[in-house]
Amino acid sequence: MSLRFENDFLRKLEYLHVVSKRALAGQNRADRLSPKRGRGLEFADHRPYAAGDDYRHIDWKAYQRLNRLLLRLFDEERDLSIYLMIDVSKSMIEPAKFDMARRIAAALCYVGLAHLDRLTIIPFGNDLGHESSPGRGKGRIFRVFEALEQLEASGPTDLRAACKAFASRPRQLGLVVIISDFLEPGSSIDASGDVKTGAATSLKGDATGPQAGLKILRTIGHDVFAVHVTSERDRDPGVFGTIRFVDVETGAMREIEVTPRLAAAYVKAAGQHAEALEHFCGRYDIGYVRADAERPFEDVILRTFRQGRFLA
Amino acid sequence: MTFATLATWQGWLVLFGAGALAAALFLVKLRPPRILIPSLSLWQRVLDASPEVTRWEKIRRAVSLIATVLIAIALGLAVVRPSRLAGAGAAGRGRTLIVLDSSWSMLARTQGRDTRWDRAIAEARRIAATTEQVAIATTADGLVQGLTDDAVLVESALGRLSPAGYGDTSWPTVSGIESVHFITDGAVPRHLDPSVVVHSVFEPVGNVAITAFDVRPTLGAGRRGPDVEVGTAYLEIANFARKPQSVHITMVRGKTTIADSRMDLAAGEAYRQVVPLLRRGDPDLHAHVDAPDNALDVDDDGFAWISRARPLSVVIVGEHTEWLRRLVGVDPDVRATFVTPSIYRASGEDVTIFDRWAPSTMSTTPALYFAPPDDTPWLAGGGTDERRPRWDAAGTHAVLAGVDPITLRLDHARDCSSSLLTPVARSAKGTALVCVGDSADRRAIVIGFGPSDSNLASAPAFPVLVANALEWLGRPQTRDLSLRPGLTSFTEASRVTQADGESVPLTGMQGSAIGLLATPGLYGIQNAGARNTIAVNAADPQRSNVARTSLTGDANVARPRGSLERPWWLACAFLAFVLAFAEWWTWQRRITV
Repeated sequence: MSLRFENDFLRKLEYLHVVSKRALAGQNRADRLSPKRGRGLEFADHRPYAAGDDYRHIDWKAYQRLNRLLLRLFDEERDLSIYLMIDVSKSMIEPAKFDMARRIAAALCYVGLAHLDRLTIIPFGNDLGHESSPGRGKGRIFRVFEALEQLEASGPTDLRAACKAFASRPRQLGLVVIISDFLEPGSSIDASGDVKTGAATSLKGDATGPQAGLKILRTIGHDVFAVHVTSERDRDPGVFGTIRFVDVETGAMREIEVTPRLAAAYVKAAGQHAEALEHFCGRYDIGYVRADAERPFEDVILRTFRQGRFLA
Repeated sequence: MTFATLATWQGWLVLFGAGALAAALFLVKLRPPRILIPSLSLWQRVLDASPEVTRWEKIRRAVSLIATVLIAIALGLAVVRPSRLAGAGAAGRGRTLIVLDSSWSMLARTQGRDTRWDRAIAEARRIAATTEQVAIATTADGLVQGLTDDAVLVESALGRLSPAGYGDTSWPTVSGIESVHFITDGAVPRHLDPSVVVHSVFEPVGNVAITAFDVRPTLGAGRRGPDVEVGTAYLEIANFARKPQSVHITMVRGKTTIADSRMDLAAGEAYRQVVPLLRRGDPDLHAHVDAPDNALDVDDDGFAWISRARPLSVVIVGEHTEWLRRLVGVDPDVRATFVTPSIYRASGEDVTIFDRWAPSTMSTTPALYFAPPDDTPWLAGGGTDERRPRWDAAGTHAVLAGVDPITLRLDHARDCSSSLLTPVARSAKGTALVCVGDSADRRAIVIGFGPSDSNLASAPAFPVLVANALEWLGRPQTRDLSLRPGLTSFTEASRVTQADGESVPLTGMQGSAIGLLATPGLYGIQNAGARNTIAVNAADPQRSNVARTSLTGDANVARPRGSLERPWWLACAFLAFVLAFAEWWTWQRRITV
């Protein structure tokens, strides 16, 4: 599937920008306010002059009034480091789901590039994949498309390990967008937001699973945003009778006689899984958006992401 | 339980087999469809969270299994069509009449090598054993054992019964009977009272039979000579087996085999064969068929009689018999001997013709008298002579059939009436012109005029009259005879003998006699010195086709009193449909598996 967008849609994207809940200092000047004071256009504050300060920033009018040397401070506008972590594990192999994830990543990349943000695309499964940084400026979007089109779904998922690997390298603090189905072998998230493994262990302390990964990123200071990509098959088995379900990541098989009662319980469990993830994200100030693969892509970007206050 | 279309063991086998097959198919482990899912974790959580299984979910698999087996058994019942319960409960506890079907088809051998008749007797014994009083009857003989509770009498009656094969008598009725049980194979459809309990001994078996065999005359039969073809033997056989088979056909005339062939007959195929018959040879003809799958023996033999192979021996007594010589000399079916009255001695000839002469006592052999003398003692006391009598009406007797009296010109005739004779033709003034004598010991025809009194020798009525007279005198009982086994009425018979010479008992009844021709074969008939032979054959396609039964039709299967009025199999089919629909409906909604 081609990731190319229509021009009309690209123009709509240019009016949007990625919202970061926190002001994070980037490396380069751009049009995004940073916590740093420096050479900006917008006056921020005064401070007493100290030896060595650039006397061009001395506020002479204040000296005339107050007979004190005060230095004018300006808000510095920097770029934002956006890390797009896209799940390329085998659980994303369903074409609709994987395409939705890559198109979301492409759209966010375009929004970021249009506002001179620093983008890094990081595929992950049970570890981090090859990172690619297209650079700055929307003209680099084609490199993004190429990078995303080359991604293939394979291997198991381990978000915690991937996030640990992400955190183990020195990086500029920024916005980490995790695009995933948040389904991992042998674990699920209960209604309280706790991750359950096969042994149903509470992981509030030493967390594992997708929740633990999100926690790690949040702890080290990144602004984290979770994009939960789901498909109809994830939410509803859609079949009845005796079915042999095969875990696409592990190859484990389970023969289940799907009855209407059991199917309803599965639908409920899938809903609880999504609600628990959303609840967890809310508790840890992590942005959460749910993107259904069956919904129109433009509707997801222009409506769902804006309602989730991820784009503005 | 009896089954309309199968033997009992076959019916039970079908039912158990259907149920077992359905259960096996239900329990067979089918490979379920595989579906790839992102993670089993959600399913694991669902299964962990819902360990409690409702009571219905615990038993629904068993319920589905039971429903499936019931559907199979109901369909099996609809196929095998159980006619009724014939167990001890069905047999009457009070007074019971047991009627056995005694048609030929009951002699058919089953696959168990016993015959249907054996099974019927066994069934009758079983019913009798559960009944207080029982009467025994057959369809052919009627009531053979009155109501009794003596087991010895019942056993004796059952032991002496055998299939008679001949036609049905009226349905036996016994007063005070509480239940009637009819044991049959259904080969002959019968309309039964609804209260009659039918027990089927039917089992489809193959058979090869002679369905038609007789001798038919040919146009060349009137010519003289030993090598003249006097007729053809028409043989028709049919293969009533459900598979093709090789059939061996033989046809024997006297002791000479005139046809011997083998052929393959397809299932249901009929074969017809025509064999020319010469005058030379014995008159008795016997056909026989043989095949591997041949359950019934009685229809494997056919008998026929070639009457033209045995010409009538006729003695003509008279002084001037040339006018008769010209006539009988050209008839190939007559062997004539001419004698004068002076040397005449009564012998065992078939017919004697007395020409203007008569012995002093009436001949004991069939005789034709032309213008007997006036002083004939046994004709004394008759009417007077008549000059130029006028004969207008020919009369209705067989001797006068086809005789045209208008062509006769009579100058003088003597009244032939006598106490021993019956006039069958009279002149316009009432003079007896033709008289016949038909008694148990004598048979005679007296014609009151001769060639010297009329133009008889040159009249067209003459050969017709003589031929009729010879036929009536020499070959009695040639028409109106049933050629099938059974009760036969003889209008002109004093003695009937089987091929082995044993006489058939006759019962006189208002000028005729009734005798039972029990088995197929040739029977000799004698009446006042006249002899004839008839062939009796069991050829009947309906009875020979022992692979079918009329019991499959509900109209011929009666219901016991108090049982369901509608056939069981309809209820079974309806039940199967309802169960299948319910199973399908609940399966669609995942209520059942």
